[in-house]
Amino acid sequence: MTTPLRKGLLVGAAGLTLASSVAACAPSAQGSTPQKTSSISGPYKDGTYSADGDYISPNGGETVGVQLTLAGNTISAVDITVHANNPNTQEFQGQFKNGIAAQVVGKKLDEINVSKVAGSSLTSEGFNKAVETIKSEAK
Amino acid sequence: MTLTGWSVFSFDGIGTTWEISTPEDLPERVRAGLLGVVEDFDRSYSRFRDDSLIAVLAREPGTVTLPAGAGKLEQLFKKLYHLSNGAMTPLIGSSLERLGYGADYALRPLGHPVPAPRWEDVLVWSGTSISASAPVVLDIGAAGKGQLVDLLASVLRGAGTAEFLVDASGDMLHSGTEPLRVALEHPYDPTQAIGVVELRDGALCASAANRRTWGDGLHHVLDGATGRPIETVVATWTTAATAMEADALATALFMVDPPVLETDFEFSWLKVYSDGHAAYSAGFEGTLFT
Repeated sequence: MTTPLRKGLLVGAAGLTLASSVAACAPSAQGSTPQKTSSISGPYKDGTYSADGDYISPNGGETVGVQLTLAGNTISAVDITVHANNPNTQEFQGQFKNGIAAQVVGKKLDEINVSKVAGSSLTSEGFNKAVETIKSEAK
Repeated sequence: MTLTGWSVFSFDGIGTTWEISTPEDLPERVRAGLLGVVEDFDRSYSRFRDDSLIAVLAREPGTVTLPAGAGKLEQLFKKLYHLSNGAMTPLIGSSLERLGYGADYALRPLGHPVPAPRWEDVLVWSGTSISASAPVVLDIGAAGKGQLVDLLASVLRGAGTAEFLVDASGDMLHSGTEPLRVALEHPYDPTQAIGVVELRDGALCASAANRRTWGDGLHHVLDGATGRPIETVVATWTTAATAMEADALATALFMVDPPVLETDFEFSWLKVYSDGHAAYSAGFEGTLFT
């Protein structure tokens, strides 16, 4: 996922209000595509800002993260990150938010606390033996 | 790796290793029932044995009657065949054999890749009845392992077991209230994970081109339209209500853009490309390491 730059300048009332209004029109909003630009009042430094916003869904309280890019007191980009815990909300929010990771990052399995691993780690003995045979013949 | 304090019933079936974890030991009668279901499934669908039901169709045209669950496989494969424009197909068996992944495990290509025969040309599949107008090598592996996971879950529920994990070497179904932490295996390094998901009351399946490889660019996830291994995607994960759907969709993600699948299926997905970047649906948000 993208790592939001948390400069924290907009974490006040303005940030939360914006987050709430974005969440309210959730189904039609598009994830990371640039939104219609809108002017905002007051002098703000150009840059990327992020804040979490809370809203009440039928499932109870939920949180979305909103990242704004400001240029010349105009919002040039909005990126929404969901923090849904409720499965219903995840599904609902999933209608407008898919994510991208620039590069996957590995951690050693013995350094993380898990019960199972999902991948394609185990193959049949027949297959593995055949691969070994081919390798030995190729030497 | 096991669940702390749980009992594990482990066995080999349909070419992979299985672990069924339950809070209490499973009675002998239930274990025997589980193994019976696995054997029936293998004898119906294996393309690696001469005495399976589908082996008949590989020898000559004809009609065979498959087990009761075949109707669900038919519906699923038909949908995905259309959504993938023929790239995902149960007729991929001959293309795999061509590249060397046949019953004899020759693992040497017999020649250039060959596309799978077109479903509409050779196959009539309706519920438990399946007819081929030419010899065909069926391979229902893309959804079959998942369906068998679901079938074993039914056996467990029928025996009064409400909490369990059925794990077919990475394709798994969880039942119970306590979530299970599952690592997502790194596509290029099996000693590492790229993230962790919490699985509760549902299926998590993976498909990867990293392990079942047998030569230069040769692996088992093929495009049915060309008969060639897919090179752009290296690993996929899905969660869904049933393991059959999760399993099939994990393979389908290699060939189909996720939004196309999302129109027909309720599922979450994570797709890792061969250049190392990843894309995912909201259900996988926050699961990847950063």
